[in-house]
Amino acid sequence: METTNNKDEPEICKLDFNDSDIEYISYGGEHHLPLIMNLVDEELSEPYSIFTYRYFVYLWPHLSFLAFHKGRCVGTVVCKMGEHRNTFRGYIAMLVVIKPYRGRGIATELVTRSIKVMMESGCDEVTLEAEVTNIGALALYGRLGFIRAKRLFHYYLNGVDAFRLKLLFPRPEMHTHSDHGDSQILE
Amino acid sequence: MAALDRANEPQTPVQLRPRIPSGDNSVWADVSPLLHAACQDLQEGDLIHGDNFNLYAAMSALEIMDPKMDSGMASTYYSLDEAIEKGAAPVPISADKTTDVRCIIDIMDHLLACEATWHKGHSLAQTVYSCLYLLRPERTSSHVLLHSYCQVIRATCKAVLSVVADARTHEEEDLFVMAYGLPLSGDGKERCLPLLNAVEETICRQLRASKTSSSKRRVSEDIEPLQNNPDLEEGYCKALLCRLRFRKHFYHLLMSMKRPQGGGLELAREHIASCISEIGHIRKSSDFLRASAPEMSEKNVENTTASGCQPIGFDASLNSRLSAPTPPRAIKIFCLEKALEYFVKLLHDLDVICSYSLDPSLEAALLFVVKFQKSQPDLISRAHLQLLLVQNGKLFGRYPMFSMITRAAGLPEAAENHEFQKNQLMVQLEQMVINLLKIICTNAAWQRRKLGKMLQDLRVIHVQLELAFKKEFGNTSNNENIGFKIFQHILVWLEEQTYWIAFRFLTVGFELELYADHDYCMVYWYIYIVLINLAEKKHLRIAMSSGAGKKKTKKKRDSLKDGGMNYQISDAVKFLQSQIYLAEGLGMMLAALRNECKIVPPQSPFSTEHEIFIQQFDLLLKACLPESISYQTYKESTAQANFSTLAMCDYFKVAHKMAKELKGNFANDPDTMAELGRIEQVAERNNIALTVISRLGSADPSMKISFTLCHHPFFATAIVKRS
Repeated sequence: METTNNKDEPEICKLDFNDSDIEYISYGGEHHLPLIMNLVDEELSEPYSIFTYRYFVYLWPHLSFLAFHKGRCVGTVVCKMGEHRNTFRGYIAMLVVIKPYRGRGIATELVTRSIKVMMESGCDEVTLEAEVTNIGALALYGRLGFIRAKRLFHYYLNGVDAFRLKLLFPRPEMHTHSDHGDSQILE
Repeated sequence: MAALDRANEPQTPVQLRPRIPSGDNSVWADVSPLLHAACQDLQEGDLIHGDNFNLYAAMSALEIMDPKMDSGMASTYYSLDEAIEKGAAPVPISADKTTDVRCIIDIMDHLLACEATWHKGHSLAQTVYSCLYLLRPERTSSHVLLHSYCQVIRATCKAVLSVVADARTHEEEDLFVMAYGLPLSGDGKERCLPLLNAVEETICRQLRASKTSSSKRRVSEDIEPLQNNPDLEEGYCKALLCRLRFRKHFYHLLMSMKRPQGGGLELAREHIASCISEIGHIRKSSDFLRASAPEMSEKNVENTTASGCQPIGFDASLNSRLSAPTPPRAIKIFCLEKALEYFVKLLHDLDVICSYSLDPSLEAALLFVVKFQKSQPDLISRAHLQLLLVQNGKLFGRYPMFSMITRAAGLPEAAENHEFQKNQLMVQLEQMVINLLKIICTNAAWQRRKLGKMLQDLRVIHVQLELAFKKEFGNTSNNENIGFKIFQHILVWLEEQTYWIAFRFLTVGFELELYADHDYCMVYWYIYIVLINLAEKKHLRIAMSSGAGKKKTKKKRDSLKDGGMNYQISDAVKFLQSQIYLAEGLGMMLAALRNECKIVPPQSPFSTEHEIFIQQFDLLLKACLPESISYQTYKESTAQANFSTLAMCDYFKVAHKMAKELKGNFANDPDTMAELGRIEQVAERNNIALTVISRLGSADPSMKISFTLCHHPFFATAIVKRS
């Protein structure tokens, strides 16, 4: 699905706040749903019905997170996981941070929390789609180790192509040889 | 359903009969009270559903009256009938003949803009068929000019649609071929051209008459003018003629290209030339049309009509209910100039196809498509190319695939009719070659995915062929037996072909922007490995067909690159060698930059370079291309790279020298000449960059190094800057 577009970021006037003021909360029930829906409807191009939101947050509430600043919901991530062609795969469906709060690592923190739960739940990999023009999102996921596995022609309703991004978790048997130096895997 | 069955309720005033009668095992019952009671217990967010309806299925629901989702919502009219009744598409458009002609030209222009937008991947219903005149063929019959144009548009759409549908280009075609409920073929192709020709002839005469003085006209020809204003007669006649003629030639072109075995390609080229010339006339007519418009409009790049006026008789929202049950897709109709540019490009691309010599060679056909794809042709021309290449399972509908394979494998003609072609494995291989030809005609995104999947299939069939070969002939060498030869040659050819696909798979990744800068090192390293194997197999295949087959069954990987062979290396292989040096040089330069911390890969908390390597080359690794390659091999061969040793290795210098020398051998092959020129340029620039980095010392913190693909589609050029 999608992630908010970061490319117009410099034009947005940034709010002054401490990173520690941002509170991250796991999806807690129906009262969070309107908050998520408002953010996604406003920031993402694709339309989602209430059934789509419920599909995700009812079945995988522990994979969805919300970011609050002084009681205001400023960001959210919605995910799922399940069997996919013999692998157990996590999927990031929506990631949104409202414009004044971008560039401060909120999206990275949100998505990192979801990915950690996926990893702990035994996922082999994580995937998502992002618009090829969404430089901010592509950089964010690139830093987290995602590769661009495929390009999907005219994927979005607005006619833009998508990249299918993929993150493969290390498997113990892969690291039997010395992989020192670059293995700050997991914390 | 429950509400339907109220027939047994005595208090219901209207007696409704159930549409489906009760059966032996079922009876209608009113479940309203049950539903009502259930509603009392529902919390917000609860869902009542049957066993076969889950939350995933619920996701396909569309929310009615949400403009982002409900494509039927924003309609101006409820139905086509209502639109017609309210005068949205009058026939004639105006009782004043001059206005009528002017409006028809606007409709023609807007239709052309819609057609280009459709070709570029939007739905037919929301582009061309947003024209209300097209939706009711019989309505225009009293207006011969409009009618003839609408007819040829419908016939053209049908012809284009069938080419794309037959080519099955998949994801692009999904939207393109959707034509449910649209009157495409109502008139039948047989009648579309005679009417168009008759209209053209009448306007020709009107044009001739307009050039003679009015007194003479009355005497010489009794011709009713096109419209009322004599000053505008010539201009309007000319503007109409080029538009009608473009349609005529474009339709002829499509019909000629469809002829079996490429039989109509020469004729098609004539129509292409005519189409391009008529587009020139359409462009020239725009000054006149703008000047004759009721309100003088500035030349606006956004206009879909030459006059700058809004066309009458279009409503894109009316058809939105005919679209697939998905949310509406954003459609921006091309402006007229962009549409004309699109058609010129399409015509040029079709001309390239029509100029192809239909050379009975698989290798030539594959290279032709790869070259054709470089100009990024659109769906329509790629669909035409695909249908030309593969007809009835034969190359160009003429040459059986088995004989094309045996020829490509360098076998003598006698092999072409060998009974081996009935072998199940050969039948499979033929099918794979057909698939390959089709796949390389698709868009780059789809193509890369399909090529990747194909690699494994090719490896499997190679293993099976090898087993069959051993079973048939054991370990004995029987060079005189034709069956033995067929096996032997085809096995080598198949390996070469597989590495060629692997190479294409990797390089198309650059075009699709799939690689991040920090992955370049491993990508070039892998390209280098694949190229070495490709060169080796190609050399072996060429040597075999020239009869030197026995000598080189075993050899070391690098012997080829070092030129350490005691027999001649062909130019085709030398060409690959120059690419090998370039890829190796880039891989090593990037490794040195990484080792000396000038390129820092991302430090992901979740994965390492090892996982990135596995993901990037997953399909190649699974297909063992080549065997015994792993992340460890990559690490070991790049771990020691640094700038002090790199400067000594001269990869770029050698690549440059080889490319330069080879130019003399390819004087008659402009494509290879151009590629050699590019290799030369990239090698030279990278050599300079390398020298600069070595001289400054890579530790210099002010030095910034980046890579660009502006000199070659997949061999990057290093840019060194000091801040």
